[in-house]
Amino acid sequence: MTAARRLVLLIASVAAVAPFLWLLSTSLKGAEELFAYPPRLIPSTIVWENYRGVWNAIPMAAYFINTTIVTVTAVTLNLLLSSLAGFAFARFRFRAQRPLFYAVIAAILIPKEVIILPLYAMVLRMHLADSLTGVVLPFAVDGLGIFLMRQAFAAIPREVEDAARVDGASPLRLWWDVMLPMTRPTLATLAIFTFIGAWGDFLWPLVVLKSPEHYTLQVGLSFMTGTFVDNFRYVAAGAVLSLLPVLIVFMLMQKHFERGLFAGSTH
Amino acid sequence: MNRAIPYYFLLPALLLLGVFVLYPMAEVVGFSFLHYSFFGPHEFAGLGNYSRLFQDGDFWRTLLNSLLCVLVTPILMAVSLALALSVRHQVHRASGVRLLLFLPVITPVVVVGIMWRWIFNEDTGIINYLLSLLTVRPVHWLTQYPVNLGSVLILTLWRGFGYYMMLFLAGLALIPKEIEEASLLDGVTPWQQATRIILPNLKPTLLFMAVVSSSAAIKLFTEVYVLIPGVPMNNKTLVAFLYRQAFERFDFGYGSAIAVVLFALTFALSAANIRIMEDRA
Repeated sequence: MTAARRLVLLIASVAAVAPFLWLLSTSLKGAEELFAYPPRLIPSTIVWENYRGVWNAIPMAAYFINTTIVTVTAVTLNLLLSSLAGFAFARFRFRAQRPLFYAVIAAILIPKEVIILPLYAMVLRMHLADSLTGVVLPFAVDGLGIFLMRQAFAAIPREVEDAARVDGASPLRLWWDVMLPMTRPTLATLAIFTFIGAWGDFLWPLVVLKSPEHYTLQVGLSFMTGTFVDNFRYVAAGAVLSLLPVLIVFMLMQKHFERGLFAGSTH
Repeated sequence: MNRAIPYYFLLPALLLLGVFVLYPMAEVVGFSFLHYSFFGPHEFAGLGNYSRLFQDGDFWRTLLNSLLCVLVTPILMAVSLALALSVRHQVHRASGVRLLLFLPVITPVVVVGIMWRWIFNEDTGIINYLLSLLTVRPVHWLTQYPVNLGSVLILTLWRGFGYYMMLFLAGLALIPKEIEEASLLDGVTPWQQATRIILPNLKPTLLFMAVVSSSAAIKLFTEVYVLIPGVPMNNKTLVAFLYRQAFERFDFGYGSAIAVVLFALTFALSAANIRIMEDRA
């Protein structure tokens, strides 16, 4: 029984990882081996040259810097603004509370794809087209983040707030000094999900960015598949490079990713 | 206490959501009633964009393709549930195995598309090579409809199965062990156990997955854009059609009508999923 379970697990893991190994293998092959027949998983000679090649052939460094700027800004803004709004919804009673919360829910129900067209028109009017600001600003905060942070703040016991108020803490200090540290697990979960989303985002950056020096990695890579049709080794090396940061951040934060996953499935 | 304070906390987030999500939603509905090209002045079109849309063969074909993509949802759920049930209690200990299973879903879609375009390559791809060993003739994975749509679905299935399997395992872990053990003692068959105990207990997980997966499927774009870029529009999906009209032809009025239909579909799908689940309860 246990052996059968282990076998299923092994097959599932191999199925998940095999395409990555094939990509990695391709990125390390020489020109003559790329179309070798029969194909070889482990290259006879490891060729690191493809990595230097792709780095020099396209503005890979610029893509990396742009994607890092976009991702770091997106994570910072989403955490900051979601926790401000989530705090207000969880810890205050005010007149417009219900309608404003419904507005957040409405925003959650509107898919990005539906509104990109008027958003692009708006970004043009604001002279933010072809800029990283134009990529980040419209989706700097998402409704789901506000929702998550509201739950995290609502779970903090009343006594914490009372004690802080007795000590004379202002609402801003109550939020930043007292309560925000207590929501750290939720913040970490929100951070890893926002990171993965922003790093891999494609459609909106594709619409906004026009000049190659402003491209993010995903946009640059997608155009590379057209440019280097004859040199898939470069494309593969570029794809591996763009995946590395996600992999590293994920391994560091796997715990928080899983917590978010399981929270989402049980509510 | 100052009554304005909560509003200061809300202002930045709600301002952004209002300006960049809610207002554009109103605008896209408005645009859909205009003859509005990026290059020219706009004028009222009434239902003109919609009647043009309903007579456009590409619209019906891409709509059909997007609905076919939604078929991946029940398959994905069945496959991952079967996997989860057969490896129960094994995965949770090994975080390395969980990492491997999560890898496809955390990888940027463009990278996934690049990877599979190489695997599906019709002349030199590994799949056609393996098929040739079985003396199967090369399959046109990328260029022949509807095979290429099937390739997109295979990619989607591969990308999601580990993630959904983990979701199911999390849901299964919440079912009290005593209930299952007691039911076995009462002589319940495994099939009865699955349908009467496990599935009803997994309802929140199933609902969550049905909504998330089907609304992602109806919006499929990047997978198609990277995997099968050169194929005719009628091989592609609704969002690819929207992208073509809006950002390659700059026909904003027509593109907006497509976006409104897309919104109606995602809304209907979520509502339908919730209804189906409630009826089964």
